[in-house]
This record gives sequence, C-alpha cells and structure tokens, in this order.
Amino acid sequence: MNIFKTSCITAMILSAALSCGCGKPQPPVKSPSTAAGVPAPTAATSEQQQVRKFKAGLIYVGPVGDYGWSNAHELARLQVMKKIPWLQSIVVESVPEADSARVIDRLILEEKCDAVFTTSFGYMDATVDAAKRYPNKLFMHCSGYKREKNLGTYFAELYETYYLCGLMAGALSKTGKIGYVGAHPIPEVVRHINAFAIGIREINPEAKLSVKWLFSWYDPAKAKEAAEALVAEGCDAISFTEDSPAVIQVGEAHTNAGKPVYTFSHYSAMLKFGENSVVSGQLVDWTGMYEKTLSAMHTGTWQSEDLWWLLKEGAAVLGADFRQTINYRHIDMLKGVTREIEGFGAINAYDLVNKRLDQMKADPRSFDPFTGPIKDQTGAIRIPEGHVADHDALWSMDWFVEGVEGRTSQ
Amino acid sequence: MSAAGLVFAVQGVNPWTALWKIFGGSFCRSFGFFETMTKAIPLILISAGLSIAFRARFWNIGAEGQLLFGCILATGVGLHSSSLPSYCVLPLMFLAGATGGALWGTLPALLREKYRVNEVISTLMLNYIAAEAVQYLIYGPWKGKTQWGFPYTDNFPPAASLPVIPGTRIHWLTLLIGLVMACAAYFLLERSSMGFEIRVSGENPEAARRSGISPLRVSLLVMGLSGGLAGLAGTGELCGVHHHLTYPWAISSGYGFTAIIVAWMAMLNPLWCIPVSLLFAGLLVGGDAIQTSLGLPFATVNVFNGAILFFLMLAEFFRENKISLKRSASAGA
Repeated sequence: MNIFKTSCITAMILSAALSCGCGKPQPPVKSPSTAAGVPAPTAATSEQQQVRKFKAGLIYVGPVGDYGWSNAHELARLQVMKKIPWLQSIVVESVPEADSARVIDRLILEEKCDAVFTTSFGYMDATVDAAKRYPNKLFMHCSGYKREKNLGTYFAELYETYYLCGLMAGALSKTGKIGYVGAHPIPEVVRHINAFAIGIREINPEAKLSVKWLFSWYDPAKAKEAAEALVAEGCDAISFTEDSPAVIQVGEAHTNAGKPVYTFSHYSAMLKFGENSVVSGQLVDWTGMYEKTLSAMHTGTWQSEDLWWLLKEGAAVLGADFRQTINYRHIDMLKGVTREIEGFGAINAYDLVNKRLDQMKADPRSFDPFTGPIKDQTGAIRIPEGHVADHDALWSMDWFVEGVEGRTSQ
Repeated sequence: MSAAGLVFAVQGVNPWTALWKIFGGSFCRSFGFFETMTKAIPLILISAGLSIAFRARFWNIGAEGQLLFGCILATGVGLHSSSLPSYCVLPLMFLAGATGGALWGTLPALLREKYRVNEVISTLMLNYIAAEAVQYLIYGPWKGKTQWGFPYTDNFPPAASLPVIPGTRIHWLTLLIGLVMACAAYFLLERSSMGFEIRVSGENPEAARRSGISPLRVSLLVMGLSGGLAGLAGTGELCGVHHHLTYPWAISSGYGFTAIIVAWMAMLNPLWCIPVSLLFAGLLVGGDAIQTSLGLPFATVNVFNGAILFFLMLAEFFRENKISLKRSASAGA
C-alpha cells in the first residue's frame, strides 16, 4: 500500500514534469537540440554573413562568486565578452572533477560549443579524452601539462609576484617571523611559498617562514584559525593561498588593535578588506590570455601550445588591488629599509621592488627568483650557482627552500 | 512543485522550460540517461544498505565514511596488485572494499551495544576520520610518483579497471552488483528469519530482547551489511570512474548523504531504492543542463532539489496523518 502510494507520487511528479515540458512548448524549445543557444541562431543570420559567430564553453571548479580562482576566470570572460562582438559563451560552475567528462560532452553535443575551456587541474584526463573524441573541436586546459593537436594548456604563473611580496614582507617584519597559510601541498603552492621565502631572505637572511596547510582551496574558518595561530607564534606578516579574504581580515583586526600584521592580496583585489593591513599582493588577469586565444581560434590561426604567462604578459599583476601596486600607507616604511643588493648597491626596499618589477616585466630572463645557488631545508644545494630552475623543475617542485618551517607532505 | 517552479520564475525563466531541461536532460537524451545511470550506481548500493540498517533502527549517518574506508582498502590492493594474476585483481579489490566498509560500519555497532555510544554521533564522526585518513594517504605514503606532486595515488593497473558500456561511463559490473544486492537485501529483509529479527528489533526492541534476539548480533549484522555495501559502492567508483584514489570529496561527492534521503523516500524498501536512486541521479545530472542552457547559477539546482524533497516529505506527512479542521462554532467545515 505504502509502496503504491509513493510510486504514484513519484510517477505524478515525473509525468507532470515531462508532459508539461512537452505539452507547452516555448517557441525556442521545440526539441532539446534546438533549445541550445541563449540567442537563437536564426536571430543572428544577418550578422552571421559578415562575421562568423564563435561559441566557447567554460567549466569552473568553484562558484563564480568566490574571491579567487573561478571568479578571476569569470571576470576575464565578462571583459572579453564586452570586447569581442562575435563571441558567445556559456559557463558551468561548481563542477566536481569526476563530472567534468559529462559537462564537456553536454557543452559540445547539446550546446554546440566550438571550444571548451576547462579550468581545473583535475579536469585534465577528461579534457584529453574529449579532445581525442572530438577532433574538430578546440580545447584549452588550464594548469595541466597534457597537450594534443586540438588541446592546448594555459596558466598565469605567480611566482615572480610572490617573490616581490616576499621582499616587502621581509622589509616590514619586525619579528623576523613570517607566516604562510597554504591551501594544498601541491607543486604550484610549494613553488609560490619558495619564491616568497626567497624574497623575504634577500632582505632578511635570518627570517623564518612558517607554513600552515589547510588542505582546502576554500575554507574561511580554517584559514582564520591558521592565521590566528601564526600571529600567536609571533608572525607579523602573512601571505596565503585560499579563495577568501579571511587571512586579511585577521591581519586587519590585529593591525587596528595596535599590533601591525601585514598581509597580501591573493588572486583578486582584497585591499578593501584590509585598508591598513594589505601591503600589496599577487593578482591575476586572465583577460589577455582569453582574448588572444579566442581571437586565434576564430581566425583559424590557433595552434596547440603551452601558454605560461607571467608579469611580462600582464597575466600576473602586482598589487594590493588593480589600482594600487603598493598600499601608500606602507611606502614610507619600505623606503626606510636599506640593503646592499648585488647590481644595485645600497637600495631601499621600495626601490628594489620597483626595479625588480620593471626587470621582470621587460624580460623574465633578466631576473629570475629561482636563480642558484638555492638550498633546500636540509642545506643541500638544489639549484646550483649560475643555473635557473626550468619549467619542469618549477612544475614538479616538492621541496622547501632554506628558511621555510613546515613540510611539503603530511 | 509550484514552489520549486517559483525558484525559476523569480530568476525570469519559465518553470516548465526549466523542469523540461532537468528531466529531459537526464532521462530523455541518451547521453544524459547514461550519465544518470552512472550516478545511480553508488546510490543504489548505499541506499539498499542503509535501508537494512534503518529498518533495525540503527541510524547510520556514516555511509560516506564507510565508502571511503572501503576505498582505502581497495586502493591498497589495487596499488600492490602487480604481482597478482590479472583476473583476481578486481574481485580482490571488491572484497577489500566491502571488508573495509563493513569494518568501519561495525565499529559504531560495537560502540553502541557495548558502551552505549549514540550511533548518530559515532557514525557521523567516523566520516571525518575516514576522510582525514584518505587525505593522509594521498598526501603522504601513497602520493603517486607519476602525478607531478599532486595528491593522487598512481593510476591503478589496467587489470583494476572496470569495463564500461562502450560510449558511456556506466561500469556495468557495479550496476549489476548493485541490482543483485538490492534484490538480495529485499529478500533478506522480507523473506528470511534474519530479516524478521532485524525488523522486530527495529519496531519493538523490548519484544526482540525478550524473545532472545541479541541486539549486538543484529547491530553487527545490519552495520556489516550497510557498511559493506557502501564499501562496494566506493570500490565501483574507484575502479569504474577515477582509477586512482584522490581527495575524499572528489571520490564520493556526498553519495553517502544523498543515499540517506533516497532510502527514506524508498520507504526503506531496497527494491524501491532502485527507481528512487535513478530519480535522484537524474536531479544531479539535470542540474548542469539548466546551467548550460538557461544560464542559471549552480545554487538554483540545490534550491530546486531541496524544494522537491521538502514537499515530498510534506506529502508523506499528509498521507500518513489525516488533518481535520475543527471549529468551535456550530458551522461545520
């Protein structure tokens, strides 16, 4: 009896959903395959004769409203949409790694996308499979290393920017203890921590960088806890990888209470969450990369390649927000710290940051933070004198430089 | 349903269009339907297991943890299987998965019967312990040499991959196991003396005790089965979808919790768990259809699912309880 009634309820809901969907067809919803595009293809025929439309699908791992990764991609997409009239785009947010294959299929089969951008490392194998399955479609995978004829990779790399923030943290810290709240111990984050530490120790060779792991990309409560623990240990400058301004809010609260704790914006502009605490930060602007790639795809000149963009290309940006490179409140303090630096003589920290920034913007090869000799935590030389860490060494980095306290695994 | 429709109407989308997108996207198109089947596999296994436990009034909130612990043991076998003949790798992994899930399930059963620890708390907490254990392994001893420092174990050898129906991601062997297990669970509950003991312990523990049914034995049995099935589901996901162990939330995406709802909606009948699992898998799969074609945010999908569930529960309440309006005045209603 019970079973019968519930089955009736379930069946009713299903049939109601299906029959009403079919029974009252909206003009564009005659069959699922033509229901695909938001603007119907027929509406655009007159323009289409002049410029061919191009449809891109983007898959995000997080919600578009986070303060980090997915939000940065979304901002860039909106910018590019404004600039390019022939572009149509579709986004799918909060896609679990295991579901990415299905979403790619849906974008290509149902939405008839010409290109699909997958923006998380965990989508790599699904994207490679899809590229093989749909050889006439184009794919771009963000942060991966596998490429095909119709599959390229792209990444905005932040280690130069982290190094510059390290210079500032080293100059501002009074205690010589600096903290880092890290998301996951993966090579990308390890590399950024190392670059930050190299910057710190160029100004203060005795300084220590203490690392706390969250094992999550987004966990404001845990990030706040980790930041408080670092402050309690005596850290007075903290950088982080986590997609919320939680660490900055901790720094701001302590700073306003009379105990300065300097913080750095991560990924998106976070100055507004810590007017007194945020010094500078590592920001990302994907706009140029998407614009270049989509334009090349549209004109048919696109070729599979590995885009690895740094400060020079404008993908990585140094700034507390996109207008203030360094928070003006901290400029005088930075000018008050002077060091002997090879190639520059006696130079204050503010000028050093700007000189290095100009160098790397002009040509990344003129200065690279990962130039030997660089020792690991045990004191063993990992990058010998005169050598620069190459792409593969950076890509698979699983060791900390000297001066970092913490482990790269549990 | 109308409230769920309101969710869409507020965002300026015709509710019928949205519903058509969700159910059409997951049931009417071949590839959507294949994906729905894929998602339903773990739900069938876990909800069938949970039905057994819930029938005995053992509130198992820990299917997620049991699934993960099953995954750990199965991965242990999978990573060290190179010396084994290939035909016994998968059976051994499934065996290990079921054993892991059963072990993780019987622990709270022991705690409840021996030390009177509330099983809701203990099963819930064991979820976190299992998830932390997976994290420890993927960042520590089992971190893959071929995964560029990312927290994945190395991929399993080909012998540990479940065959899929060509052109889909349905690992049919697990589906078959799921269907068989759901039927077996039904016969256990409804047609066997053991099932009678389980039902009596659930419906009238006092009578069960007096008639000599050991609460310990029943708890161990239902939790061993419930956990074991969750472990099987985990192994199926590992060998059919992921092919390596990785972040706990990526392995399971909340199947252990969704299955609780499925089991209740199926009224704790393992056979009914099969269509209800399909319905829920369809909701999950249809969710991305309304994102891609209507441009609605992800949260809408969750709100919609929540609304449907809430009203189903409400309907259930009104079905079970007769509401009569009484007026003190003479006018009758």
